[in-house]
Formats: sequence, C-alpha cells, structure tokens
Amino acid sequence: MARLTIESLRKFFASTVAVDDFSLDVADGELVCLLGPSGSGKSTILRMIGGFEQPTSGAIRIDGQDVGRLSPDRRPTGMVFQSHALWSHMNVFNNIAFGLKLRHLPRAEIRRKVEAALELVGLGGYGHRQTFQLSGGQQQRVALARSLVLEPKILLLDEPFASLDQHLRERLREEVRDIQQRLGITTLFVTHGQDEALALADRIVVLRNGQCEQADAPDVIYRNPQTQFVAGFIGQMNFIAANVEGGTFRHPEMSVAIGAQDGPAVLAVRPEALGLVAAEGGAGVTVVRSTDFGSHIMVDVELSDGTRLKAMTSPAMRWERGTRARLVPSAYALYRDNKLVVSGTVGASTAAPAFGAAPLVV
Amino acid sequence: MADTAIPSAIGGSEPAIGRGLKGLLLVAIPVFLVGWLIIYPIIAAILSTLFVDGPQGVHFSTASYQFFFSDPYSRANLALTLWTTGLCAVLLLLVGLPIALYLRFSTSRFADLVQSLAIFPMFVPSIILSYALIRTIGPNGTLDILLNAIGLPKIPSPYLTPWGPVIGLVWDNLPLTVLMLTAGLGSISNSAVEAARDVGAGPIRVFWHIILPRMGNSILVTISFTVLGIFSSFTLPYVLGPASPEMMGPFMLRTFNDLYDPLNAKTQAVISFVFCLFFGLFYVWSIARNQRSQTR
Ligand SMILES: Nc1ncnc2c1ncn2[C@@H]1O[C@H](COP(=O)(O)OP(=O)(O)O)[C@@H](O)[C@H]1O
Ligand SMILES: [Mg+2]
Repeated sequence: MARLTIESLRKFFASTVAVDDFSLDVADGELVCLLGPSGSGKSTILRMIGGFEQPTSGAIRIDGQDVGRLSPDRRPTGMVFQSHALWSHMNVFNNIAFGLKLRHLPRAEIRRKVEAALELVGLGGYGHRQTFQLSGGQQQRVALARSLVLEPKILLLDEPFASLDQHLRERLREEVRDIQQRLGITTLFVTHGQDEALALADRIVVLRNGQCEQADAPDVIYRNPQTQFVAGFIGQMNFIAANVEGGTFRHPEMSVAIGAQDGPAVLAVRPEALGLVAAEGGAGVTVVRSTDFGSHIMVDVELSDGTRLKAMTSPAMRWERGTRARLVPSAYALYRDNKLVVSGTVGASTAAPAFGAAPLVV
Repeated sequence: MADTAIPSAIGGSEPAIGRGLKGLLLVAIPVFLVGWLIIYPIIAAILSTLFVDGPQGVHFSTASYQFFFSDPYSRANLALTLWTTGLCAVLLLLVGLPIALYLRFSTSRFADLVQSLAIFPMFVPSIILSYALIRTIGPNGTLDILLNAIGLPKIPSPYLTPWGPVIGLVWDNLPLTVLMLTAGLGSISNSAVEAARDVGAGPIRVFWHIILPRMGNSILVTISFTVLGIFSSFTLPYVLGPASPEMMGPFMLRTFNDLYDPLNAKTQAVISFVFCLFFGLFYVWSIARNQRSQTR
C-alpha cells in the first residue's frame, strides 16, 4: 500500500540527457506503464526509483518519505529485470528465500512464504528445481516471486517479458495484472510494446527523449493523443502534411474544414476513421495493396505526393490494386510542432472532443 | 545434434573410419611433438633416476630419492618451495580479487588506469623486475632513502630472505591472476548482482553469497596456473632469494651446474614434476567436477 511521487527527476550520463524533468504521481495500487521507444529513458527512471542510479537532480518519495539517497538494499522497492537475474548457483527455493534469510526470518516462516509465493506465480512444487532447468517464462515467474515474497511497497518491472515469445508474453502479462490487482501493489511497468501497455495499464506514461509526452488512461492516450509523437506511437496512424489556408486544411486529395490558424500543419487520421469511396475517372488516390484480416480489410493507398495511408474498410467491399478512390475522413486531429491544435469529427462540430470515437466507416 | 553436425561438415558422407583417420591426421603433428619433446623426456628422466649405472652394470635403485628425502637440506628446499608457492597463491588471491572486482564493477574512469597498471608487470621481464625490486626495497634502495630523508630507520630488507621471491613472484604473477579473475567475474551479470542488492543484500553479502559461489571455477583455474608457474620459477628466487635454503629451481641448476651431479638434479626435477602433476590433476579433476554439476 504505497504512493510513489517523482518530482522533476533528471539524469545526465556525461553529456547525454537520459531523463529530463520527469514528474509522476502513482497512486496506491495503481499500475502505471512507462512506454517509449528504445533509449527514451524508461529504464533509467526505473533504476533511479530502485536505487541503481543516482538522480542528477529531483526527488523520489515513497509514502512521502524521500528515498533518493538510499542504497537499493534499503529501499522498499522490488525490481524484476529483463533477464539473467536469477542466481544460478541456488535452486528456485533458495532464490526466493534469499531475501527472507537476509531478514533473519524463522525457517518455518521462510518455507511458508516461499511456497505461497511460488503458488502465486503458478509454480507450486518447483522449489527444488535448478534455475537452468526452467523455461524463460518460468524463470521470470521465479524472478517475480522473488520480489513479491518480500512484500515491497513498489514493484518495478523492466521489460520483464521482452525476451519471451508473443503467446507467453500475453499470458504472463495477464497473470501479472491479476496478481497485481489481487495484492493491490503499486506497480511501475516498463515496456516498449504498446500492446503490453494498453493491455496492462491503469495509466500510460509515454516517454520520448527522457521527457513525458503524455500521461493518461489507455483509452485517452489512444483517442486523445496530445502530441503528434504519441499519436504515431500508439496504434496505427496516418499523417498528412499540408497547409491550413483560410480555415481549411488543403491537400489535393483531402481537404478538411478546420478551426485552426493558417500555416503548415499535420493532419492525423486513424485507419478506422478513414473511409474510401470509389472515384470516377483518374481522380483520387491509388490503391496500392489490400490485406484481408478477416474482420476487416486494410487498404494501403498512395497520395499524389507519395504519402502512403492506411484505411480500414469492411470486408464487403474489395479494393483491387490500382483502383482509384476518394478519402472520406470521419475523425481527425491536427498537429503543429508536435502539439495538438484541434481535433474533431467531420460533419460534426470541430469542438467535439473525442477523437477516433466515430464508428468505423464502412 | 552437435556431435553429428561437426564431423559431417568436415567429412561429408565418408564412412566413420575414414573420418576418424582424417581427424587423427589433423592432430598428428601436435601429438607427435608433445610425445617427442615432453612425454619422452619425462619418461627418460624418471627411468634414468631409477635405473642407474653401478659396478655390475645398470640396476634398479631408489637411492637418489632416498637421499633427497633424508637430506635435511633438500627437504628444507622443498619445504621453502611449497611455503613460497602457497603463500604466493594466497597473497595473489587477496590482492588480485579486489582489483578484479574493482575492474568488473567500477564505472569510474580510473578503471582503465588501474587495469593498465595491473597488467603492466606482464610486459616486464623477470630479470628487470628483480633489479627494480632490489633498487626499491633492497638495502639502501629508494624506500630506505625516503625513510632516511624523513628521519625514520631503515627497513629490514626482504632482499635475500624468503620474502624477496614472495614479493617478486606476487608482483610478476598479478597480471595473469587479475586477468583470469576478471574473466571469471565477467560471467556474473550485472542484473544478478543488482537483484541481490534489491532484495536487501549489502555489498559484502553480495560478494559472499552471490559472487564468490560463482567464482569457484575461475579461482581454481587461477590458483592452478599460478601455483604451477611459481613452483618451478627460477629467475626471481635465484636473484632475490636466500642462498640457503633455496627454491627448487635454483637448487636444480646449482646441483647440475656447480656440483656436476646430474643424477640428483634429475631426481629433484622428477620430484618437482610430481608435485606439479599433482596440482595439474587436481585442476583437471575440479574442472571436470564443475562441468558435471553444471550439466546435471
Ligand atoms: N550507464 C549509462 N551510461 C551512459 N549512458 C546511459 C547509461 N544508461 C543509459 N544511458 C543512456 O540514457 C538514455 C536512456 O537509456 P534507457 O533508460 O536505458 O532507455 P530505455 O530503457 O528507454 O531504452 C540512452 O540514450 C542511453 O544511451
Ligand atoms: Mg530499457
């Protein structure tokens, strides 16, 4: 039961700025995902919370207590590493029991706690195994049990499933979510996979170059991306660059009336908010490819300026390669200098806040 | 899987016997050289100490060995050699392990400097090293001059005492020790150490419970190598050590060269060889045991 507060955290490695003015509040029992491309500073933030890196400046508080200067063994945090973190000279039981032994707990209690932790991660009865007799997924479960058995206030996970295959990853992240909710443990989960973040998180923090781009619930992040970077990073997104002139975003193949000042801007439209209508003659965009996903068809089209867009269409309609089509956006967002200017739905008032909330255009 | 993959890559679809012959041919030259230059001289030396020329022709005799083990001077030399070897091994670990740990886990810029300093003696010939040590800690060496300058008495110099070779040998073998220990530490991942810190272990406990248990193999390898080298070392004990007792290396040379006594020199060599063989077998045995426990 704990609350984590991070204030203006900064970390420089020589001349590299790894984390730049990062602040975050994690409520008791909340699961927050740090999401961002490789090198965006996710691990560095996590490692500073765990005590493995010293912040250049800023504060880290757990339940109001400043832990910024404590060494890792004195922090009430538990960390699960990406891999290679089990101690291969100890069996599974001893791996999990090590922290309890350091705390001089009675033998019987250690046994009881370790067995409970193994049950929790679905490895009951595996205590006597050697770590190298386990699969990758089982090893990470042991690593998780090893952290959980000490009942840390904050659980930190740094891409714990990155080296596992897709299926296992999906199963494990659901189990982690289950366990986290059952124990109500405040958790920070680092990932570079948007699926993982969307599936797990109460809140997603999108990072870029050590800075927070947006921190919101998954659905808000998806529907209301506040920056062009977030819009492009989460889910699929089409970007079209052109000028706004006289209240209209003008592109030869797509013009949208928009309440924005004149000047260059980028229009963002999700594939599911981009409809296609057959165009007569040589007008419109060209269909480059169409991929059938069963439930829908993804049609790639090329604009006259070479931009490629994706449109999600109903399987009822076939789009042959080379066909001409007209673009019919139903919802959009407009970005300028990475910042959201305005978003809205076509045909409705531009003040409508929801983006991508429009039904699939079929 | 691997068993079948490698020969088939070399031998194609030839019958197994042909492939075996080819393999033997590939290693024939080294095997022959080992046999000719190492195995044969060993056997010849052992035989020549056991079958000696007497008045009635060649006969079997253990007299030279009996002499060695009954002669107090020879026994003292063997004891000194064992003492020096053991002490050096312990000192090398005590000095080399902290340096290796520092090199493995430090992120400071000084690590490179420390590494170069620790490796440096490797490129210094023993004879130069010996004279450098004499100039530094010998009688009226740099240390004495410095002590004298600040009004302190001279140190009792280790030069020509059993400590002379110990200091020289530790210095001379430190690079190899540090290199091998650092290589051993390389197999311990950062996250394994950090995970231990995370569950509440301080630096000493991390060393004791996480690092040391996984260093066993490389410590064994290191000790075996240094012990073999030190046991049969010559230059440093010859230049820095006392005249009596002396280590086996100088002892052999003197017996052979100054006393014109090849039989006893060879006997001393065989005895040294048996000790080294014992260390070598211990090394092979411990490596095999470790490998078995890992593939269990
Ligand atoms: N120990 C380090 N020394 C120097 N630079 C580092 C170190 N750790 C991380 N960095 C740099 O900090 C930045 C952020 O790294 P990291 O937090 O690992 O990113 P992520 O986990 O998001 O992939 C990167 O540019 C990386 O090169
Ligand atoms: Mg990372």
